[in-house]
Amino acid sequence: MSVQAASVAVSQPGDARGRWLQRLRQRAFRVAPADRGPVVLRHSRIYILPTRRGYALIGTLLVMLLTSLNYALSLGLAVTFLLSGLVATALLHSFRNLAGIEVKPLAAGDAFAGEPMSFALSLAAGRCERSAIVVAAAGASARARIESGGTRTITLAVPTQARGRVALGRVTLASDHPLGLWRGWAYVHFPLAGIAYPAPELHSPPLPAAARATDGHGKGRGEDADLAGLREYQRGDPLQRVAWKAVARGAGWFSKSFEGAGGQGPLQLSFAALPARMSTEAKLSRLCAWVLAAERAARPFALSLPGVLLPSGMSEAHRRAALTALALFPPDS
Amino acid sequence: MAALISAWRRPPAAGRAAAGAASTLSATQIGALGVLLAAAQLPLVLHLPLWIAGFGLLLVALRFALLRRDRLRPYAKPARIPAWALAIFALLIAIAVRKSYGYFLGRDPCVAFLFVLVGIKYLELRTLRDGSLLVCLALFLLVTPFFYDQSIVAGLAALPAILAAGAALDALSRGEHGLPARSWRATWTRTAALIAQGLPIAAGLFLLFPRLASPLWGLPADHAARSGLSDRMAPGSISELSLSDAVAFRVDFDGPPPPRAARYWRGPVLSLFNGREWRALPPRAGGRLASGDGPRVSYSVTLEPNDHRWLFALDLPSALPQIDADPALRTSAGGFAGLSGDGQLVTRLPVTQPLRYTLQSILRDRHPGASRGDLAIDSQPPPGNPGSVEFARELRSRHPDDRGYITAVLKWFRDEPFHYTLAPPLLGDHPVDEFLFDTRSGFCEHYASAFVVLLRAAGIPARVVTGYQGGDINPRGGYMIVRQSDAHAWAEAWVDGQWQRFDPTAAVAPSRIERGLSSAVPASDPVPLLARADGGWLKGVQLAIDAINYQWRRNVIEFNRDRQRSLWRDWKLDAFSPWQIVAAVLLAVLGWAGAVLAWIAARRTRGERAVVLWDGLCRRLARAGLPRPPWEGPIAYAQRAAQRWPQFAIAFRAIGESFAALRYGSASARTPERTALIATLERAIDVLPSPSALRAIGK
Repeated sequence: MSVQAASVAVSQPGDARGRWLQRLRQRAFRVAPADRGPVVLRHSRIYILPTRRGYALIGTLLVMLLTSLNYALSLGLAVTFLLSGLVATALLHSFRNLAGIEVKPLAAGDAFAGEPMSFALSLAAGRCERSAIVVAAAGASARARIESGGTRTITLAVPTQARGRVALGRVTLASDHPLGLWRGWAYVHFPLAGIAYPAPELHSPPLPAAARATDGHGKGRGEDADLAGLREYQRGDPLQRVAWKAVARGAGWFSKSFEGAGGQGPLQLSFAALPARMSTEAKLSRLCAWVLAAERAARPFALSLPGVLLPSGMSEAHRRAALTALALFPPDS
Repeated sequence: MAALISAWRRPPAAGRAAAGAASTLSATQIGALGVLLAAAQLPLVLHLPLWIAGFGLLLVALRFALLRRDRLRPYAKPARIPAWALAIFALLIAIAVRKSYGYFLGRDPCVAFLFVLVGIKYLELRTLRDGSLLVCLALFLLVTPFFYDQSIVAGLAALPAILAAGAALDALSRGEHGLPARSWRATWTRTAALIAQGLPIAAGLFLLFPRLASPLWGLPADHAARSGLSDRMAPGSISELSLSDAVAFRVDFDGPPPPRAARYWRGPVLSLFNGREWRALPPRAGGRLASGDGPRVSYSVTLEPNDHRWLFALDLPSALPQIDADPALRTSAGGFAGLSGDGQLVTRLPVTQPLRYTLQSILRDRHPGASRGDLAIDSQPPPGNPGSVEFARELRSRHPDDRGYITAVLKWFRDEPFHYTLAPPLLGDHPVDEFLFDTRSGFCEHYASAFVVLLRAAGIPARVVTGYQGGDINPRGGYMIVRQSDAHAWAEAWVDGQWQRFDPTAAVAPSRIERGLSSAVPASDPVPLLARADGGWLKGVQLAIDAINYQWRRNVIEFNRDRQRSLWRDWKLDAFSPWQIVAAVLLAVLGWAGAVLAWIAARRTRGERAVVLWDGLCRRLARAGLPRPPWEGPIAYAQRAAQRWPQFAIAFRAIGESFAALRYGSASARTPERTALIATLERAIDVLPSPSALRAIGK
């Protein structure tokens, strides 16, 4: 971002220069997530430099060249140049191995902070076979070989540290095929981001008492709720409540409905209700653990955060909304 | 050595093991590197002392044996040699090389040391980095045999190592990616293809890469002894040389070659005589080029290295030679020195590499020019040989005229029973006396020596000239080969104010001059095969090989700065400005890159025969009005086509099923089945009519 700093420092004509530099940086290094939709790798994106082995070999060729020139060894020169031809051809093959690959962003997964988050990209080979392509981004890498005409889905497991939005960032596709003398690479930067939920507290206290159950035996509700019967499965019903035995019998999809869960009333998971001495992150971790526990217990819950209020509910979408709200809760500045 | 062997059994040091499994070389990679190493070492074997050659190869073989042991006993501790042992080992080798050569900092001992060093490095090879280093060392080793030999065979011997280098790099790279090793055959064909694609670049570089005008660092002297004329002549020295078939030099004439009797190739001039042996004076300036009338010849000589400083020219050069080879002769210390006072062409440095020069001569047997000092030396009375001196004095009293005296001597040689033979008897302390009055059989050096002694004893300045006489045209190349067996000695005498050539051998055996050695000496003499007139088919083969070698030498080995410049001139490259040449080179490189990329693409498509067939079919059906949407599979598409054209339903079904099986089935592993499926696909597609016909039927 030093470019921006420079552009502030200089006056009007320099501003244009700054923008120009910015564009150059974007074009050369793809610093901003500006690639939308599929990207086909072309020569303007592909860089090639020798690998360490390539540098060593080129150095050796130079020594051979000098020796042959000095001693006027025509055959030495011939051998040196044959090998140079081999090195040059390897360069072309390295280029060809990358050029024409079509990269598509597929999806970003979700994860709890600290767990790897998976991002999926699709690579289409086009007419050529692609060997030993290394796809790397944000500390994760995967290796792929794609047959000509084939397509391969690459999953990058990006490690996450903190909750919040996790962008895949710039993806590097690299290959030193065929001889390991040249490393070709290309940058692709998709606006692909997943959400890292707060890491659930490890030994969290049990779920708080339900709203209406203010009396003594309000702890550990859910586990001892009684099965009331089956009802037709509806989209959004949590998977824990699907009557799998019925599904396995082929009887169709049913959800178990419980007595008692409703009787306990919806859980109120409230940020404000947590002890004030806890830090924001700790509170979010506990709320996250509770959301998961409520889901496990198949109990509807409502979530209230400062500025966010989720009404009581129980579904996959509800759970996701709750976790997302926790993940995106503004941190203490 | 015992310490070494016990050290192999030691478990690996902990630090080494932590280096990581990914960077450790696999057995396949070590094998590929070993093949590269052996291929790079083998061409050098003939040029090294036997113990070094054997030792270097042994180290590589030892590692192969260890690899085999590891394979046979996979759970045993892998054999390892500690680095310190190898360092000591290398030091010992260096000392041994120093002992063997007598010096260490020179080209040859360094080559020998490197030869063993790569073996040692190979023995301790472990990581990928070691592998890269070894590839580099082996490639450098590949250049070193050319110090000693640049023949076609030496060039061919380097090719396997180049292939092996590609294979080793491929193996290293595949190992890094965790890919399974390819079969040897696949690796080698692939590497050969890569090298073939690089050939245009290699050829362009060879033709266009500028050569050096002079070496960047000193060329060490070559110590190898070579056969050839020397600056001394004792009885028997030239007849010994005449037993050799070795080539002295080759000549290209502009126009027809002069007759054999006029082909005196002038070499060292010997003026100092000690009663038995002739020696040359140190070269002095002051020679005068021939001028005036006489047949003029223009020719180029390609001189084999002879470790001496003289060049050979037809008697007598009318212009200084233009040397167009060898940067060694162009250095400030070297270079052509000129024509010496006694008419020899002399260089400043010994000729240690093949040397080509262009020259003009005027063919005459007499030429002016001698300094007073030279004449004084050349008229000194000969020491020893009292009989000859006495005979000369007696003959001189009858022929006071110089020319008359010389004619009388030659007549005496002709009339008396002298024999010309390659196998003269040994001579004692007064060789000229014994030869003239006793044995009376000798080779050219006996006659020349005796003739000059007789002239000097009579007060006529005279000297011995050595060189070559004759030479044979190689019918397969149109050039002349002058061999060591053409070596000759004749005489020059100062008559009427100029030097005149006299050949006493011609008086005794005129056919030596007219038809060559084999016709002049008795049939029982051991004339070398290639000097014989009737060499048979073997001589024919030899001449053919010589013609190939000569072209090789002219066009490959001696493709130096000047040849390169003249080629550029022929191509009119000097008419262009540098930026135009740079642009042309860039364009050529781009063209090459485009061609190679297109070739790769074409090869890839050819490889996927089924896909090509299927794509072609889809294009045909699209033109016939039934395009295939990208999501449609082969079977569904074929069904749709069969509904559209029910008369070809069977063909479409076969197409859909065989392509689906080829593309998505398990047949990819078994080749015969795959071939059958492709054949089915091909036949079924052949059944279909053209797109326009299909379109007509479908409507």
